[in-house]
Amino acid sequence: MKRTLLTLVLLTAPAALTIPRVSAQLGNLSGPTVTKSYVTYTALPQTVPANHRATLELHFRVLTGYHVNSNKPTESYLIPTALTVPAASGVKTGEATYPAGQPYSFSFDPKTKLSVYAGDFIVKLPVTAASGAHSIDATLRYQACNNASCFQPKNLPVKIDFTAK
Amino acid sequence: MLRKALLLLMLTAGLMLVVVAGVLNYRERARAVAAARATKVDLVKDGVATDSPNVDETLRGKPAPNFTLASLDGKKVSLADFKGHPLVLNFWGTYCDPCKIEMPWLEQLSKKYAAQGFDVVGVTYDAEVGKAKIASATQQLGVTYPILLSDSKVEDAYLSNTEVLPISFWVDRNGKVVNVTAGLSSDEATAKNALEAQVQQTIAAN
Repeated sequence: MKRTLLTLVLLTAPAALTIPRVSAQLGNLSGPTVTKSYVTYTALPQTVPANHRATLELHFRVLTGYHVNSNKPTESYLIPTALTVPAASGVKTGEATYPAGQPYSFSFDPKTKLSVYAGDFIVKLPVTAASGAHSIDATLRYQACNNASCFQPKNLPVKIDFTAK
Repeated sequence: MLRKALLLLMLTAGLMLVVVAGVLNYRERARAVAAARATKVDLVKDGVATDSPNVDETLRGKPAPNFTLASLDGKKVSLADFKGHPLVLNFWGTYCDPCKIEMPWLEQLSKKYAAQGFDVVGVTYDAEVGKAKIASATQQLGVTYPILLSDSKVEDAYLSNTEVLPISFWVDRNGKVVNVTAGLSSDEATAKNALEAQVQQTIAAN
């Protein structure tokens, strides 16, 4: 019994030595890549007539100094900006419509004409919804560049909240 | 009896020290993680991009991390295969127009400086688009230097702190990363000259 108690005490005593060394246990804090978003979504409250075809407006903004390919880029290898809308209870959605892109060329390649969104742009989503509050978790896929380089494609969560009455 | 009580007291004290150490440790970790995140994440303010070239300089001055990747033509290629050669490891993507402007220039430089042992190695970041599309892109660009397909290990080693393309790691003949460059300059002539200057610097480095 005595030996057991003594052993337990000796085993727990080193715990006292861990207090000053907490900083050594922090490990690697550098972590994975910064996941920056180059496009932001502003959720605005919208109301539509119930059980009638209506159009929701989804407002996006591209950060100043960046652009994203439009929904109809000029080359097939470019990643278009596109909204994906899952099925939602009580809501029938149609094909989203996108604005026309602006022309853009990189200064080091003036011959290649691109079609891009820069600044604010609106994507329109037709819906026919039953009466009540609705929420759809959509996603906007885009790929951004600035005037010198490009960034990995991203998926922006787009929470569409609206009321039909 | 007294001895038993003393031992029990010491045991209780020891256990309490363990608990206190754990709580202090947790709080210190949470504070440090929060501090690290605060300095790392906020590059965007009021909808305006506030960062500049986005070059990750973590590897500059350090040995280039080794890798073994599959090439477009099905071979296994390691960084060690280029031992003794100054080289550039150029990450690109099929969707990246600046990358595709730069790659023909790299092709020209790979031929011009081959006699000095300089190598160009391309790494395709978006390997998931498939070999056919990658091969089509490189053929259209006239690229003949090795094209390797990226994997998560090489991305962790080279791209863990950046998401910009193109990004190039310039490695001297001793395997040290002497510079990291990203993006292109504003006009073609300046960009091409900068690229060649970097090749020359990498060859000369020791």
